[in-house]
Amino acid sequence: MDLKSLTISQIQELLFSKQISAVDIVKFYLQRIKKIDPQIKAFITITEKEALKQAEIIDSKIKKGESVGKLAGAVMAVKDIFLTKDIQTTASSQVLKDYLPQYSSTIYQKLIDEDAIIIGKTNTDPFAFGGSTENSGFFTTKNPWNLSKVPGGSSGGSAAAVAADLCQFALGTDTGGSIRLPASLCNISGLKPTYGLNSRYGITAMASSFDCPGVFAKNVADLALLTKITAGVDPKDATTIDNPVPDYSEILNNVDLKGLKIGLPKEYFIDPINTEVKEKVMAAAKLFQSKGAILVDISLPNTNLGIAVYYILVPSEISANMARYDGIRFGRNTDNNPDITSYYMNTRGQYMEAEVKRRILIGTYALSSGYYDAYYTKASKVRTLIKNEFTNALKEVDVILAPVSPTVAWDIGAKANDPLQMYLVDAFTVCINVAGVPSVALPCGFNQENLPIGFQLIGNFFEESKILSIANQYQQFTDYHLQTPKI
Amino acid sequence: MSEPKISMADLEHIAKLARINLSESEKTTFLPQLESVLEYLDVLNQANVDNIEPTYRVNDQKNVLRNDEVVESFDQKTALSTAPKTQDGYFVVPGTIRK
Repeated sequence: MDLKSLTISQIQELLFSKQISAVDIVKFYLQRIKKIDPQIKAFITITEKEALKQAEIIDSKIKKGESVGKLAGAVMAVKDIFLTKDIQTTASSQVLKDYLPQYSSTIYQKLIDEDAIIIGKTNTDPFAFGGSTENSGFFTTKNPWNLSKVPGGSSGGSAAAVAADLCQFALGTDTGGSIRLPASLCNISGLKPTYGLNSRYGITAMASSFDCPGVFAKNVADLALLTKITAGVDPKDATTIDNPVPDYSEILNNVDLKGLKIGLPKEYFIDPINTEVKEKVMAAAKLFQSKGAILVDISLPNTNLGIAVYYILVPSEISANMARYDGIRFGRNTDNNPDITSYYMNTRGQYMEAEVKRRILIGTYALSSGYYDAYYTKASKVRTLIKNEFTNALKEVDVILAPVSPTVAWDIGAKANDPLQMYLVDAFTVCINVAGVPSVALPCGFNQENLPIGFQLIGNFFEESKILSIANQYQQFTDYHLQTPKI
Repeated sequence: MSEPKISMADLEHIAKLARINLSESEKTTFLPQLESVLEYLDVLNQANVDNIEPTYRVNDQKNVLRNDEVVESFDQKTALSTAPKTQDGYFVVPGTIRK
Protein backbone atom coordinates (compact mmCIF):
# COMPACT_ATOMS: atom_id res chain seq x y z
CA MET A 1 0.00 0.00 0.00
CA ASP A 2 1.31 3.47 -0.84
CA LEU A 3 1.44 5.40 2.41
CA LYS A 4 3.12 8.45 0.92
CA SER A 5 2.12 11.85 2.31
CA LEU A 6 -0.25 10.47 4.94
CA THR A 7 -0.64 12.39 8.18
CA ILE A 8 -0.51 10.72 11.58
CA SER A 9 -4.28 10.43 11.93
CA GLN A 10 -4.65 9.06 8.37
CA ILE A 11 -2.06 6.36 8.97
CA GLN A 12 -3.65 5.47 12.32
CA GLU A 13 -7.01 5.03 10.62
CA LEU A 14 -5.45 2.38 8.37
CA LEU A 15 -3.71 0.77 11.35
CA PHE A 16 -6.72 0.62 13.66
CA SER A 17 -9.04 -0.65 10.90
CA LYS A 18 -6.43 -3.40 10.38
CA GLN A 19 -5.86 -2.53 6.72
CA ILE A 20 -2.15 -2.43 7.51
CA SER A 21 0.08 -3.43 10.40
CA ALA A 22 2.70 -1.34 12.19
CA VAL A 23 5.34 -3.62 10.68
CA ASP A 24 3.97 -2.78 7.18
CA ILE A 25 4.28 0.92 8.01
CA VAL A 26 7.87 0.54 9.18
CA LYS A 27 8.80 -1.53 6.14
CA PHE A 28 7.29 1.09 3.84
CA TYR A 29 9.48 3.82 5.34
CA LEU A 30 12.60 1.64 5.51
CA GLN A 31 12.17 0.88 1.83
CA ARG A 32 11.79 4.55 0.96
CA ILE A 33 14.83 5.44 3.04
CA LYS A 34 16.93 2.80 1.27
CA LYS A 35 15.79 4.06 -2.11
CA ILE A 36 15.79 7.81 -1.56
CA ASP A 37 18.10 8.67 1.31
CA PRO A 38 21.34 7.97 -0.58
CA GLN A 39 20.46 11.11 -2.61
CA ILE A 40 19.15 13.23 0.29
CA LYS A 41 21.47 12.09 3.09
CA ALA A 42 19.05 13.02 5.85
CA PHE A 43 20.04 10.15 8.18
CA ILE A 44 23.23 9.44 10.09
CA THR A 45 21.84 6.27 11.67
CA ILE A 46 18.90 4.15 10.49
CA THR A 47 17.35 2.26 13.41
CA GLU A 48 15.86 -0.62 11.45
CA LYS A 49 16.11 -3.17 14.27
CA GLU A 50 14.56 -0.91 16.92
CA ALA A 51 11.78 0.22 14.55
CA LEU A 52 10.74 -3.32 13.62
CA LYS A 53 10.83 -4.40 17.27
CA GLN A 54 8.62 -1.49 18.34
CA ALA A 55 6.24 -2.20 15.46
CA GLU A 56 5.91 -5.86 16.43
CA ILE A 57 5.02 -4.90 20.00
CA ILE A 58 2.34 -2.49 18.74
CA ASP A 59 0.92 -5.11 16.36
CA SER A 60 0.73 -7.66 19.14
CA LYS A 61 -1.09 -5.19 21.42
CA ILE A 62 -3.62 -4.46 18.66
CA LYS A 63 -4.06 -8.17 17.97
CA LYS A 64 -4.78 -8.85 21.63
CA GLY A 65 -7.16 -5.92 21.82
CA GLU A 66 -4.92 -4.08 24.32
CA SER A 67 -4.79 -0.31 24.37
CA VAL A 68 -2.01 1.41 22.42
CA GLY A 69 -0.36 4.81 22.74
CA LYS A 70 -1.66 7.97 21.08
CA LEU A 71 1.10 7.79 18.44
CA ALA A 72 0.86 4.10 17.59
CA GLY A 73 2.03 3.67 14.01
CA ALA A 74 3.56 7.12 13.70
CA VAL A 75 7.13 6.92 12.43
CA MET A 76 9.59 9.56 13.58
CA ALA A 77 13.07 10.77 12.74
CA VAL A 78 15.12 12.24 15.58
CA LYS A 79 17.72 14.99 15.26
CA ASP A 80 21.00 13.46 16.32
CA ILE A 81 21.48 15.83 19.26
CA PHE A 82 18.67 14.08 21.19
CA LEU A 83 20.15 11.34 23.38
CA THR A 84 18.60 7.96 22.59
CA LYS A 85 19.51 5.16 25.00
CA ASP A 86 21.78 2.53 23.38
CA ILE A 87 21.37 4.17 19.94
CA GLN A 88 24.38 6.05 18.56
CA THR A 89 24.07 9.79 19.19
CA THR A 90 26.74 11.84 17.41
CA ALA A 91 25.39 15.41 17.46
CA SER A 92 26.78 15.29 13.86
CA SER A 93 30.23 15.83 15.32
CA GLN A 94 33.36 13.69 15.19
CA VAL A 95 33.61 14.47 18.92
CA LEU A 96 30.76 12.06 19.72
CA LYS A 97 31.16 9.48 16.94
CA ASP A 98 30.15 6.02 18.29
CA TYR A 99 28.75 7.54 21.52
CA LEU A 100 26.05 5.27 23.01
CA PRO A 101 24.10 7.22 25.64
CA GLN A 102 23.04 5.51 28.88
CA TYR A 103 19.75 7.43 28.97
CA SER A 104 17.22 9.12 26.69
CA SER A 105 16.08 12.71 26.34
CA THR A 106 12.75 13.46 28.00
CA ILE A 107 10.66 14.47 25.00
CA TYR A 108 11.94 11.61 22.84
CA GLN A 109 10.99 9.22 25.65
CA LYS A 110 7.52 10.81 25.98
CA LEU A 111 6.90 10.14 22.27
CA ILE A 112 8.21 6.56 22.53
CA ASP A 113 5.95 6.01 25.56
CA GLU A 114 3.01 6.90 23.28
CA ASP A 115 4.18 4.22 20.81
CA ALA A 116 5.84 6.50 18.27
CA ILE A 117 8.40 4.48 16.30
CA ILE A 118 11.97 5.73 15.80
CA ILE A 119 13.21 5.14 12.24
CA GLY A 120 16.55 6.92 12.51
CA LYS A 121 18.75 9.76 13.72
CA THR A 122 19.13 12.76 11.44
CA ASN A 123 21.96 14.98 10.30
CA THR A 124 22.41 18.50 11.64
CA ASP A 125 25.15 21.07 11.88
CA PRO A 126 27.45 19.81 14.66
CA PHE A 127 25.81 20.36 18.06
CA ALA A 128 23.22 22.38 16.04
CA PHE A 129 25.75 25.14 15.23
CA GLY A 130 24.74 26.34 11.78
CA GLY A 131 21.97 27.08 9.31
CA SER A 132 22.47 24.59 6.47
CA THR A 133 23.89 21.21 7.74
CA GLU A 134 27.10 22.05 5.83
CA ASN A 135 29.01 22.25 9.12
CA SER A 136 28.15 18.62 9.94
CA GLY A 137 31.14 16.48 10.81
CA PHE A 138 29.82 13.77 8.44
CA PHE A 139 28.10 15.12 5.31
CA THR A 140 25.71 17.76 3.96
CA THR A 141 21.99 16.98 3.65
CA LYS A 142 20.36 17.91 0.30
CA ASN A 143 17.11 19.77 -0.13
CA PRO A 144 14.53 17.28 -1.49
CA TRP A 145 13.08 20.04 -3.71
CA ASN A 146 16.41 20.57 -5.47
CA LEU A 147 19.41 18.44 -4.64
CA SER A 148 21.89 21.24 -5.37
CA LYS A 149 20.35 23.38 -2.58
CA VAL A 150 20.76 23.29 1.19
CA PRO A 151 17.78 22.10 3.29
CA GLY A 152 18.41 24.86 5.84
CA GLY A 153 19.54 24.10 9.34
CA SER A 154 20.53 23.26 11.78
CA SER A 155 17.76 20.59 11.90
CA GLY A 156 18.12 20.07 8.13
CA GLY A 157 18.17 16.27 8.24
CA SER A 158 14.89 16.15 10.17
CA ALA A 159 13.20 18.64 7.83
CA ALA A 160 14.44 16.87 4.69
CA ALA A 161 13.29 13.50 6.06
CA VAL A 162 9.73 14.79 6.60
CA ALA A 163 9.67 16.63 3.25
CA ALA A 164 10.91 13.56 1.34
CA ASP A 165 8.40 11.39 3.22
CA LEU A 166 11.05 9.25 4.87
CA CYS A 167 9.10 9.50 8.14
CA GLN A 168 5.86 11.06 9.34
CA PHE A 169 7.25 13.58 11.76
CA ALA A 170 10.57 14.57 13.24
CA LEU A 171 12.20 16.11 16.29
CA GLY A 172 14.32 19.22 15.99
CA THR A 173 15.61 22.08 18.09
CA ASP A 174 15.36 25.82 17.49
CA THR A 175 17.97 28.03 19.18
CA GLY A 176 17.99 30.78 16.53
CA GLY A 177 15.74 29.42 13.79
CA SER A 178 16.88 25.80 13.46
CA ILE A 179 13.34 24.40 13.20
CA ARG A 180 11.60 27.23 11.35
CA LEU A 181 14.32 27.86 8.74
CA PRO A 182 14.59 24.27 7.44
CA ALA A 183 10.79 23.83 7.69
CA SER A 184 10.41 26.87 5.48
CA LEU A 185 13.07 25.84 2.95
CA CYS A 186 11.64 22.28 2.72
CA ASN A 187 7.89 23.11 2.60
CA ILE A 188 6.82 21.52 5.89
CA SER A 189 5.38 22.80 9.17
CA GLY A 190 7.46 23.33 12.31
CA LEU A 191 6.88 24.72 15.79
CA LYS A 192 9.39 26.63 17.88
CA PRO A 193 7.57 26.59 21.21
CA THR A 194 7.83 29.09 24.06
CA TYR A 195 11.12 28.69 25.93
CA GLY A 196 10.37 26.28 28.78
CA LEU A 197 7.40 24.47 27.17
CA ASN A 198 9.40 21.40 26.04
CA SER A 199 12.09 19.89 28.25
CA ARG A 200 15.72 20.28 27.18
CA TYR A 201 16.81 17.31 29.29
CA GLY A 202 18.99 14.83 27.40
CA ILE A 203 19.68 17.07 24.41
CA THR A 204 23.27 18.22 23.83
CA ALA A 205 23.23 21.78 25.16
CA MET A 206 23.98 24.66 22.82
CA ALA A 207 22.79 27.89 24.47
CA SER A 208 20.80 26.95 27.54
CA SER A 209 18.77 30.17 27.79
CA PHE A 210 17.73 29.90 24.11
CA ASP A 211 17.40 26.19 23.20
CA CYS A 212 13.84 25.12 22.30
CA PRO A 213 13.17 21.54 21.23
CA GLY A 214 10.14 21.08 18.97
CA VAL A 215 8.54 19.09 16.18
CA PHE A 216 8.31 19.04 12.38
CA ALA A 217 5.27 17.55 10.64
CA LYS A 218 3.38 17.51 7.37
CA ASN A 219 0.70 19.81 8.72
CA VAL A 220 -0.22 21.98 11.68
CA ALA A 221 -2.80 19.50 13.01
CA ASP A 222 -0.01 16.97 13.55
CA LEU A 223 2.13 19.62 15.28
CA ALA A 224 -0.77 20.16 17.70
CA LEU A 225 -1.15 16.43 18.40
CA LEU A 226 2.60 16.01 19.02
CA THR A 227 3.06 19.14 21.12
CA LYS A 228 0.34 18.01 23.51
CA ILE A 229 2.57 15.00 24.21
CA THR A 230 6.00 16.69 24.32
CA ALA A 231 4.99 19.73 26.40
CA GLY A 232 5.03 20.08 30.14
CA VAL A 233 7.11 20.44 33.26
CA ASP A 234 10.07 18.10 33.70
CA PRO A 235 11.82 17.79 37.08
CA LYS A 236 15.02 17.15 35.12
CA ASP A 237 14.88 20.56 33.40
CA ALA A 238 14.41 23.31 35.98
CA THR A 239 13.56 25.85 33.27
CA THR A 240 10.38 24.03 32.19
CA ILE A 241 7.22 25.74 33.39
CA ASP A 242 4.52 24.04 35.43
CA ASN A 243 1.54 25.28 33.39
CA PRO A 244 -1.34 22.97 32.47
CA VAL A 245 -0.86 21.75 28.87
CA PRO A 246 -3.95 22.45 26.74
CA ASP A 247 -5.28 19.83 24.33
CA TYR A 248 -4.04 21.74 21.27
CA SER A 249 -5.87 19.40 18.85
CA GLU A 250 -9.24 20.04 20.49
CA ILE A 251 -8.97 23.79 20.09
CA LEU A 252 -7.45 23.95 16.63
CA ASN A 253 -10.28 26.02 15.18
CA ASN A 254 -11.04 28.11 18.23
CA VAL A 255 -9.53 31.41 17.14
CA ASP A 256 -12.00 33.49 15.16
CA LEU A 257 -10.27 35.04 12.16
CA LYS A 258 -12.96 37.71 11.95
CA GLY A 259 -11.58 40.81 13.65
CA LEU A 260 -8.27 39.10 14.44
CA LYS A 261 -5.52 41.72 14.54
CA ILE A 262 -2.45 40.54 12.64
CA GLY A 263 0.67 42.66 13.01
CA LEU A 264 3.05 43.01 10.05
CA PRO A 265 6.41 44.25 11.37
CA LYS A 266 7.88 46.56 8.72
CA GLU A 267 11.46 45.53 9.63
CA TYR A 268 10.71 42.00 8.35
CA PHE A 269 9.62 43.14 4.89
CA ILE A 270 12.69 45.17 3.91
CA ASP A 271 16.24 44.34 2.78
CA PRO A 272 17.54 41.57 2.78
CA ILE A 273 14.14 40.10 1.80
CA ASN A 274 13.81 38.67 -1.69
CA THR A 275 10.90 40.04 -3.79
CA GLU A 276 9.22 36.69 -4.44
CA VAL A 277 9.39 35.78 -0.73
CA LYS A 278 7.84 39.12 0.18
CA GLU A 279 5.03 38.66 -2.36
CA LYS A 280 4.08 35.19 -1.13
CA VAL A 281 4.19 36.15 2.54
CA MET A 282 2.07 39.24 1.85
CA ALA A 283 -0.36 37.02 -0.06
CA ALA A 284 -0.72 34.87 3.08
CA ALA A 285 -1.51 38.02 5.09
CA LYS A 286 -4.05 39.09 2.45
CA LEU A 287 -5.74 35.69 2.65
CA PHE A 288 -6.31 36.21 6.38
CA GLN A 289 -7.64 39.69 5.55
CA SER A 290 -10.13 38.19 3.11
CA LYS A 291 -11.38 35.99 5.97
CA GLY A 292 -12.04 39.02 8.13
CA ALA A 293 -8.70 39.59 9.87
CA ILE A 294 -7.37 43.13 10.26
CA LEU A 295 -3.81 43.76 9.07
CA VAL A 296 -1.93 46.24 11.25
CA ASP A 297 1.44 47.77 10.35
CA ILE A 298 3.71 47.55 13.36
CA SER A 299 7.37 48.23 14.09
CA LEU A 300 9.94 46.19 15.99
CA PRO A 301 12.73 48.78 15.72
CA ASN A 302 15.56 46.75 17.27
CA THR A 303 15.19 43.84 14.82
CA ASN A 304 18.48 44.74 13.12
CA LEU A 305 20.30 44.15 16.44
CA GLY A 306 19.02 40.59 16.82
CA ILE A 307 21.90 38.83 15.05
CA ALA A 308 24.50 40.76 17.07
CA VAL A 309 22.77 39.99 20.38
CA TYR A 310 22.47 36.37 19.35
CA TYR A 311 26.10 35.99 18.24
CA ILE A 312 27.34 37.36 21.56
CA LEU A 313 25.04 35.58 24.00
CA VAL A 314 24.78 32.23 22.21
CA PRO A 315 28.56 31.70 21.70
CA SER A 316 29.08 32.78 25.33
CA GLU A 317 26.70 30.07 26.52
CA ILE A 318 28.25 27.66 24.00
CA SER A 319 31.76 28.25 25.31
CA ALA A 320 30.56 27.24 28.78
CA ASN A 321 28.43 24.29 27.64
CA MET A 322 31.12 22.84 25.37
CA ALA A 323 33.62 22.65 28.24
CA ARG A 324 32.15 19.23 29.06
CA TYR A 325 33.72 17.70 25.93
CA ASP A 326 37.01 16.96 27.62
CA GLY A 327 37.50 13.43 26.27
CA ILE A 328 37.36 11.92 29.75
CA ARG A 329 33.78 10.86 30.53
CA PHE A 330 32.47 10.52 26.96
CA GLY A 331 33.46 11.34 23.41
CA ARG A 332 36.68 10.55 21.62
CA ASN A 333 40.11 11.23 23.05
CA THR A 334 43.76 11.43 21.99
CA ASP A 335 46.70 9.41 23.25
CA ASN A 336 50.29 10.14 24.28
CA ASN A 337 49.65 13.47 25.97
CA PRO A 338 52.25 14.40 28.59
CA ASP A 339 49.80 16.27 30.83
CA ILE A 340 46.10 17.03 31.32
CA THR A 341 46.20 20.42 29.56
CA SER A 342 47.64 18.95 26.37
CA TYR A 343 45.10 16.11 26.67
CA TYR A 344 42.26 18.68 26.57
CA MET A 345 43.86 20.83 23.90
CA ASN A 346 44.75 18.00 21.54
CA THR A 347 41.45 16.15 21.99
CA ARG A 348 39.33 19.25 21.40
CA GLY A 349 41.65 20.47 18.63
CA GLN A 350 41.52 17.18 16.78
CA TYR A 351 37.80 16.36 16.82
CA MET A 352 35.85 19.63 17.04
CA GLU A 353 34.63 20.91 13.67
CA ALA A 354 35.68 24.40 12.50
CA GLU A 355 32.33 26.02 13.36
CA VAL A 356 32.37 24.46 16.83
CA LYS A 357 35.80 25.97 17.43
CA ARG A 358 34.81 29.36 16.00
CA ARG A 359 31.79 29.67 18.27
CA ILE A 360 33.69 28.61 21.37
CA LEU A 361 36.40 31.17 20.49
CA ILE A 362 33.88 34.00 19.93
CA GLY A 363 32.22 33.17 23.26
CA THR A 364 35.50 32.92 25.12
CA TYR A 365 36.53 36.28 23.67
CA ALA A 366 33.20 37.93 24.61
CA LEU A 367 33.42 36.63 28.19
CA SER A 368 37.11 37.34 28.68
CA SER A 369 38.52 39.94 31.02
CA GLY A 370 38.11 43.49 29.70
CA TYR A 371 35.42 42.62 27.12
CA TYR A 372 32.66 41.20 29.32
CA ASP A 373 30.73 44.45 29.84
CA ALA A 374 31.13 45.66 26.27
CA TYR A 375 29.79 42.42 24.84
CA TYR A 376 27.91 40.15 27.24
CA THR A 377 26.33 42.76 29.51
CA LYS A 378 25.47 45.08 26.62
CA ALA A 379 23.90 42.26 24.58
CA SER A 380 21.90 41.10 27.62
CA LYS A 381 20.47 44.61 27.96
CA VAL A 382 19.55 44.79 24.27
CA ARG A 383 17.91 41.39 24.82
CA THR A 384 15.57 43.16 27.26
CA LEU A 385 14.72 45.76 24.60
CA ILE A 386 13.92 43.09 22.01
CA LYS A 387 11.84 41.04 24.43
CA ASN A 388 9.85 44.13 25.49
CA GLU A 389 9.31 45.06 21.86
CA PHE A 390 7.54 41.74 21.25
CA THR A 391 5.43 41.77 24.42
CA ASN A 392 4.42 45.40 23.80
CA ALA A 393 3.54 44.75 20.15
CA LEU A 394 1.47 41.74 21.23
CA LYS A 395 -0.64 44.02 23.42
CA GLU A 396 -1.65 45.94 20.27
CA VAL A 397 -2.13 42.95 17.96
CA ASP A 398 -3.19 39.32 18.50
CA VAL A 399 -0.42 37.74 16.49
CA ILE A 400 2.59 38.78 14.37
CA LEU A 401 3.02 37.50 10.81
CA ALA A 402 6.45 37.55 9.15
CA PRO A 403 8.61 35.70 6.63
CA VAL A 404 10.88 32.95 8.04
CA SER A 405 13.83 33.23 5.68
CA PRO A 406 14.76 36.29 3.60
CA THR A 407 15.41 33.96 0.64
CA VAL A 408 14.53 30.51 -0.69
CA ALA A 409 17.04 27.65 -0.30
CA TRP A 410 20.49 28.63 -1.56
CA ASP A 411 23.18 26.62 -3.38
CA ILE A 412 25.24 24.20 -1.34
CA GLY A 413 28.61 25.87 -0.81
CA ALA A 414 27.44 29.43 -1.52
CA LYS A 415 27.92 30.68 2.06
CA ALA A 416 30.00 27.87 3.51
CA ASN A 417 33.27 29.81 3.70
CA ASP A 418 31.85 33.02 5.11
CA PRO A 419 30.58 32.51 8.67
CA LEU A 420 29.08 36.02 8.89
CA GLN A 421 26.96 35.54 5.72
CA MET A 422 25.77 32.23 7.14
CA TYR A 423 24.84 33.90 10.45
CA LEU A 424 22.71 36.46 8.59
CA VAL A 425 20.34 33.80 7.17
CA ASP A 426 18.67 33.87 10.59
CA ALA A 427 17.89 37.59 10.36
CA PHE A 428 14.11 36.99 10.61
CA THR A 429 14.17 34.15 13.15
CA VAL A 430 16.67 35.00 15.91
CA CYS A 431 14.73 37.80 17.62
CA ILE A 432 11.95 35.35 18.46
CA ASN A 433 14.53 33.24 20.34
CA VAL A 434 16.08 36.29 21.96
CA ALA A 435 12.58 37.13 23.29
CA GLY A 436 11.59 33.52 24.09
CA VAL A 437 8.12 33.65 22.48
CA PRO A 438 6.59 30.86 20.32
CA SER A 439 6.41 30.81 16.53
CA VAL A 440 5.00 28.34 14.02
CA ALA A 441 6.43 28.14 10.50
CA LEU A 442 4.35 26.89 7.57
CA PRO A 443 4.43 26.85 3.76
CA CYS A 444 2.86 29.69 1.69
CA GLY A 445 4.00 29.15 -1.87
CA PHE A 446 6.88 28.61 -4.28
CA ASN A 447 9.17 30.84 -6.29
CA GLN A 448 9.62 30.56 -10.07
CA GLU A 449 12.20 27.79 -9.61
CA ASN A 450 9.64 25.81 -7.58
CA LEU A 451 11.52 26.31 -4.31
CA PRO A 452 9.36 26.57 -1.18
CA ILE A 453 8.60 29.78 0.73
CA GLY A 454 7.32 29.87 4.31
CA PHE A 455 5.95 32.33 6.82
CA GLN A 456 5.73 32.38 10.61
CA LEU A 457 3.05 33.32 13.10
CA ILE A 458 4.47 34.64 16.36
CA GLY A 459 2.46 34.72 19.59
CA ASN A 460 3.03 35.85 23.16
CA PHE A 461 4.47 33.52 25.84
CA PHE A 462 2.62 30.17 25.94
CA GLU A 463 0.19 31.15 23.19
CA GLU A 464 0.86 27.97 21.18
CA SER A 465 -2.92 27.28 21.10
CA LYS A 466 -3.55 30.58 19.38
CA ILE A 467 -0.83 30.42 16.73
CA LEU A 468 -1.52 26.76 15.96
CA SER A 469 -5.22 27.51 15.54
CA ILE A 470 -4.55 30.38 13.13
CA ALA A 471 -1.98 28.32 11.20
CA ASN A 472 -4.31 25.32 11.01
CA GLN A 473 -7.09 27.46 9.52
CA TYR A 474 -4.63 28.76 6.91
CA GLN A 475 -3.96 25.15 5.87
CA GLN A 476 -7.68 24.55 5.48
CA PHE A 477 -7.84 27.35 2.90
CA THR A 478 -4.62 26.48 1.06
CA ASP A 479 -2.85 23.43 -0.32
CA TYR A 480 0.82 24.55 -0.33
CA HIS A 481 1.56 22.16 2.56
CA LEU A 482 0.20 19.27 0.48
CA GLN A 483 2.76 19.78 -2.30
CA THR A 484 5.59 17.28 -2.22
CA PRO A 485 8.95 17.17 -4.02
CA LYS A 486 9.34 14.94 -7.08
CA ILE A 487 11.90 12.42 -5.90
CA MET B 1 40.41 51.57 8.91
CA SER B 2 39.87 51.23 12.61
CA GLU B 3 42.15 49.15 14.83
CA PRO B 4 41.69 45.42 14.40
CA LYS B 5 39.53 43.92 17.15
CA ILE B 6 41.58 40.79 17.50
CA SER B 7 45.30 40.10 16.97
CA MET B 8 47.02 36.77 16.37
CA ALA B 9 48.28 36.95 19.98
CA ASP B 10 44.67 37.46 21.22
CA LEU B 11 43.48 34.50 19.16
CA GLU B 12 46.22 32.28 20.55
CA HIS B 13 45.40 33.45 24.07
CA ILE B 14 41.65 32.71 23.85
CA ALA B 15 42.30 29.36 22.15
CA LYS B 16 44.45 28.44 25.13
CA LEU B 17 41.78 29.63 27.57
CA ALA B 18 39.23 27.50 25.65
CA ARG B 19 41.64 24.54 25.64
CA ILE B 20 41.59 24.15 21.87
CA ASN B 21 44.75 23.39 19.95
CA LEU B 22 44.66 25.30 16.63
CA SER B 23 46.83 24.43 13.63
CA GLU B 24 48.65 27.24 11.83
CA SER B 25 46.21 27.03 8.92
CA GLU B 26 43.22 27.21 11.28
CA LYS B 27 44.70 30.32 12.88
CA THR B 28 45.12 32.08 9.53
CA THR B 29 41.59 31.08 8.48
CA PHE B 30 39.89 31.98 11.76
CA LEU B 31 41.58 35.33 12.39
CA PRO B 32 39.91 37.31 9.54
CA GLN B 33 36.61 35.44 10.08
CA LEU B 34 36.51 36.38 13.77
CA GLU B 35 37.55 39.92 12.90
CA SER B 36 34.60 40.33 10.53
CA VAL B 37 32.15 38.87 13.08
CA LEU B 38 33.48 41.16 15.83
CA GLU B 39 33.28 44.19 13.51
CA TYR B 40 29.68 43.30 12.74
CA LEU B 41 28.89 43.22 16.47
CA ASP B 42 29.64 46.97 16.62
CA VAL B 43 26.06 47.46 15.40
CA LEU B 44 25.14 47.20 19.10
CA ASN B 45 26.70 50.62 19.67
CA GLN B 46 23.50 52.03 18.07
CA ALA B 47 21.43 50.81 21.00
CA ASN B 48 20.68 53.07 23.94
CA VAL B 49 20.59 50.83 27.01
CA ASP B 50 20.70 53.50 29.72
CA ASN B 51 18.62 52.33 32.70
CA ILE B 52 17.83 49.01 31.04
CA GLU B 53 18.21 45.86 33.13
CA PRO B 54 19.89 42.88 31.44
CA THR B 55 17.84 39.75 30.62
CA TYR B 56 19.57 36.48 31.52
CA ARG B 57 16.50 34.29 31.30
CA VAL B 58 13.25 34.92 29.46
CA ASN B 59 10.79 33.57 32.00
CA ASP B 60 10.33 34.76 35.56
CA GLN B 61 11.41 31.67 37.47
CA LYS B 62 13.38 32.11 40.64
CA ASN B 63 14.94 29.18 42.46
CA VAL B 64 13.41 25.86 41.48
CA LEU B 65 13.76 23.52 44.43
CA ARG B 66 13.06 19.84 44.88
CA ASN B 67 13.09 17.46 47.82
CA ASP B 68 16.46 15.92 48.55
CA GLU B 69 15.56 12.28 48.04
CA VAL B 70 17.65 9.23 47.25
CA VAL B 71 16.64 7.90 43.83
CA GLU B 72 17.95 5.10 41.67
CA SER B 73 20.80 6.07 39.37
CA PHE B 74 23.42 4.40 37.17
CA ASP B 75 25.58 1.67 38.62
CA GLN B 76 29.34 2.13 38.28
CA LYS B 77 29.64 0.03 35.13
CA THR B 78 26.94 1.98 33.32
CA ALA B 79 28.31 5.32 34.46
CA LEU B 80 31.75 4.46 33.08
CA SER B 81 30.46 2.84 29.88
CA THR B 82 30.99 5.90 27.67
CA ALA B 83 34.49 6.78 28.89
CA PRO B 84 37.33 6.25 26.42
CA LYS B 85 39.63 4.92 29.15
CA THR B 86 38.90 3.43 32.59
CA GLN B 87 40.78 1.39 35.16
CA ASP B 88 39.57 -0.30 38.37
CA GLY B 89 36.29 1.62 38.26
CA TYR B 90 37.88 5.02 37.64
CA PHE B 91 38.17 7.43 34.70
CA VAL B 92 41.77 7.55 33.49
CA VAL B 93 43.43 10.93 32.81
CA PRO B 94 47.08 11.91 32.32
CA GLY B 95 48.95 12.96 35.47
CA THR B 96 47.94 16.33 36.84
CA ILE B 97 50.70 16.61 39.45
CA ARG B 98 54.38 16.36 38.56
CA LYS B 99 56.40 13.66 40.30
